[in-house]
Amino acid sequence: MTTKNLLGLGTFLITVFVLVPVGISVSGRWDFYYTLTSVALLSIGAAGVWLTFYIGRINIGQGAYALIGGYVSAVLVVKADVSFWLTLPLAGLFCTTVSVLIGLPILRLRGVYFAMVTLVLTEVTRLSALALPVTNGAKGITSIPLPGELSILGLTIIPDFATMQNPKLAFYLLAAFLMVVSYAVLWRIVNSRLGHLCRSLQQNEELAASIGVNVAYLRVLAYGISSFYGGIAGAVFVAISQSIYPSSFVVTDSVNFMLYCFLGGLGYVSGPMLGTLLLYFGWNLLSVAKEYQLLVYASVMIALMLAVPNGVLSLFDRKGDRK
Amino acid sequence: MKRRSFIKTTALSTVAALSFAPMALAENPVLKIGFVGVTSGPAAAWGTSNQRSMETRAAWINETGGVTIGGTAYDVEIVSFDDQKDPKRAIAGMEQMAQAGIHYVVGPNVDDGAAAVRPVAEQNGIMYFPYAFPKELYTSPASNAVLGMVANYQSGPAIYKYLMQNNGIKTVAFVAANESDPLSQRDGGVEAANALGLQVVSSNVTYQVDTTDFTPVILPVIQTQPDLLVLSGVAPAAAPQLIRSARELGFTGLISTETAQDAGVLQEGAGQLANGFISVGGASTPELASDMMREFVDRYTKMFGEYNDESNTKVYALEYILETLKANPAAIENVEEFKTTMDTFEAPNPYMVGDAKLSYVGMSSFGQRRQVSVPLVVNVFNDGAFETLFVAQVD
Amino acid sequence: MEQILANGLYLGAQYALIALGLTLIFSLMNVLNFAHGQMYVFGGFVTYTVVAQFGLPFVVGLLLSGAILAVIGALIEKFLFRPVIRKSKREESTMLLAAGVAFFLDAVILLAFGEKQRGIPKIVDGVMNLNFRLIMPYDRIMVAVLAVAAIIGFILYMQYSKPGRAMRALAQDRVAAQLMGVDVDRYSMLGFAFGAMLAGVVGGLLVAITGVNLGMGGPTSIKAFMMIMIGGAGVISGAIAGGFILGMMESVGLSVLAAYGNITYLVIFASLLIFLAIRPQGLMGKPWG
Repeated sequence: MTTKNLLGLGTFLITVFVLVPVGISVSGRWDFYYTLTSVALLSIGAAGVWLTFYIGRINIGQGAYALIGGYVSAVLVVKADVSFWLTLPLAGLFCTTVSVLIGLPILRLRGVYFAMVTLVLTEVTRLSALALPVTNGAKGITSIPLPGELSILGLTIIPDFATMQNPKLAFYLLAAFLMVVSYAVLWRIVNSRLGHLCRSLQQNEELAASIGVNVAYLRVLAYGISSFYGGIAGAVFVAISQSIYPSSFVVTDSVNFMLYCFLGGLGYVSGPMLGTLLLYFGWNLLSVAKEYQLLVYASVMIALMLAVPNGVLSLFDRKGDRK
Repeated sequence: MKRRSFIKTTALSTVAALSFAPMALAENPVLKIGFVGVTSGPAAAWGTSNQRSMETRAAWINETGGVTIGGTAYDVEIVSFDDQKDPKRAIAGMEQMAQAGIHYVVGPNVDDGAAAVRPVAEQNGIMYFPYAFPKELYTSPASNAVLGMVANYQSGPAIYKYLMQNNGIKTVAFVAANESDPLSQRDGGVEAANALGLQVVSSNVTYQVDTTDFTPVILPVIQTQPDLLVLSGVAPAAAPQLIRSARELGFTGLISTETAQDAGVLQEGAGQLANGFISVGGASTPELASDMMREFVDRYTKMFGEYNDESNTKVYALEYILETLKANPAAIENVEEFKTTMDTFEAPNPYMVGDAKLSYVGMSSFGQRRQVSVPLVVNVFNDGAFETLFVAQVD
Repeated sequence: MEQILANGLYLGAQYALIALGLTLIFSLMNVLNFAHGQMYVFGGFVTYTVVAQFGLPFVVGLLLSGAILAVIGALIEKFLFRPVIRKSKREESTMLLAAGVAFFLDAVILLAFGEKQRGIPKIVDGVMNLNFRLIMPYDRIMVAVLAVAAIIGFILYMQYSKPGRAMRALAQDRVAAQLMGVDVDRYSMLGFAFGAMLAGVVGGLLVAITGVNLGMGGPTSIKAFMMIMIGGAGVISGAIAGGFILGMMESVGLSVLAAYGNITYLVIFASLLIFLAIRPQGLMGKPWG
């Protein structure tokens, strides 16, 4: 890691954990907390999608895992009275398990075929949530309690959200923390031996297999991690909205996760984060355009694509490698 | 390189410009009322009629000098947020309302959105008027949501009972889209029908919201030969197609729904075949509409080119908010005052002829007054227009 | 039973026509056109405007839908997809562009035609009723016949005309076709225009039966994706087969599974998932797209 990289990382962390909260309390724009929380959570999901892109798969199924993760957390909290903090990793692990089972057969597919299967998967998940008894069907699960206290050996690490003065800030910090950890892990993966192997998959799977790379294992591993991210993002969203319905994550969300990756840039670890920020935050800011909101939003999206077809981060390409 | 920096500068300045959008200037102090709902994408029709009703009414009020609350004349400004029918966006919308200091919000339009905004509304002291039916939203300990219309579990039984007495129906079938709202409404309908002693011959058939041909959907339902076919929670777009398919397959029984529909859409989509279709509407049928309702329809039509009959049920929420604030000016900044006033509030209903009243109801459904009292007007479609079948009240 | 089959065939004919345009664009440019459904809706609204607002005959509306969409398609290809494909490192990037175009068309449709469901008066009255075993309104029969005619016309055009052959060559091997003197840019544009035109024509045809509203766009695109996946992406016979199979699956599934209601579509989609996992290239496609 070069000094420049460290400097960039430091700036980023300070921005996320210090400048943003200070900026919000100075400007009084408290509503930005939720928007930025959403951005952080969605960018975790998008990071997962990005990882599947990294092994050369177009993933339009992240919404399915966000929904599954959300339901796992909601069901455990409401029906089994499990602490939210325990359900968070469980939601991720459950998604990983599901994704391994599904991934084994479907990861053999490539290109649009894989994309389509994952898209159908999102719809299958929604319909399952409607049909299964454990999810409470169409009525959804509502009035889910806020995350409780997290303590180890009597030492309070995170206080009960319900007693907090400002749960918005708490959720923001939680989401930001999860985002930083997720991207750190992603960065570590990409810059490790595993990352190189994944890149070889992206370029030529047959060749990789012929030189002894365990292609099937790598694919499932990457997809499993990707789904873990999706599940966590979904679980935290459910904690914020304190409710979940089969329509909480739908095909549109799956498509959006993919678009965030494209917009930020497929070649950059931080691409999905930037893409999420631009597209999600952009929509909220554009609400001033009233009935032309969607028109402006779409036009900007097309214009960006024309100007920087390899993602916004490709603008910085010449200023050195930001991977 | 120049082009790149140009792009960056443009992007940055756009963002900056949008963040500091200018405030509208007005002579009167401005009373902001929010709307969070869906006005673009597939379900645009639901929120659009809602938002436009509010815009129409606000423009009308402002044109005539504003609304006087506690001796001050206010101009009404409608602040809208398009949630794209996404519950996650709806939360952001509600946050934006809280940020703008708004305490009264109309919407969201669907169950999941209404449930998702609840924490935000309660934390920020916002009363909101969803068009969603789940009872948990309106029963204690929830107290900030006010149902903006008549729920299907209230209108359904009334319709079935009427048809049992007047048309002698004995069997009923339900068909619904496989989404939360319609399915919940179907379940409520089935329950009500069973309670009334109707025989439910089919209630399992569902369809995807994107269905383009309803004949295969409706075929197994028609084969059970019900006296009454209920289209639970049907979207205005799907209603004419379902009716047309059913009629073309030779169905001769009655067809009804518990949601509001648009006469123009029915006429275009099903024409003569839609005659006799029973739906729930507001007070714009000629027999019931007051002069004020007629003027509202005129103004709406002038402003947006075309009226939408769904707005008949959606004109009320804003009226209730303003009238309640008039009754208790302290509620402008304090929703607890609003809640207290709700228990006793009563005002004449300006949209209906006769001495109909505006008041809050819901004691029997929710155990507290968390529903606007709108006349339960049951319409029947005939040759391009709605006629009143009967009018009932919800308690 | 006859009724179920007839419903399936009717549904299949309209699905197949939608899928054809999509598969054509995909085979030529490897672009998954997310905006296909929006183009279809746009076509429907054009016909609606021409017939219901201006009172012109249905055929005029249909022709205008096709023409206007062809122009839109050509412009989109020339000014949006072509430069992006040229500059982009990974060709999947066109998905973002396609999604942007889909949003854009959604916005334009909402602003231009409003949020309501639209329909035109029945073009042919009456219902064919064979003893209540088979009931089919005449206008449905007419639309189904027109759709089949359009499909046949499309196949003949692709098979025997010069542009058709050029496009097929392009779909098979872009580089080889270029070397053999096929003007790639020109035929890509033509192909995109042609695909968009097909979408417009279907929209125009169906506005007479089911009407049109702006919400139909996105879901229609996704349904069309599924059809071409069933048949095999980029293969014309595959798109037709996929359309008819999905139509039949819906019709049969809805009747057979009626008693289980909520899970009808779950079963349809889940079986599709399993089918694609076992046979990724669809019925007739090339493996790996």
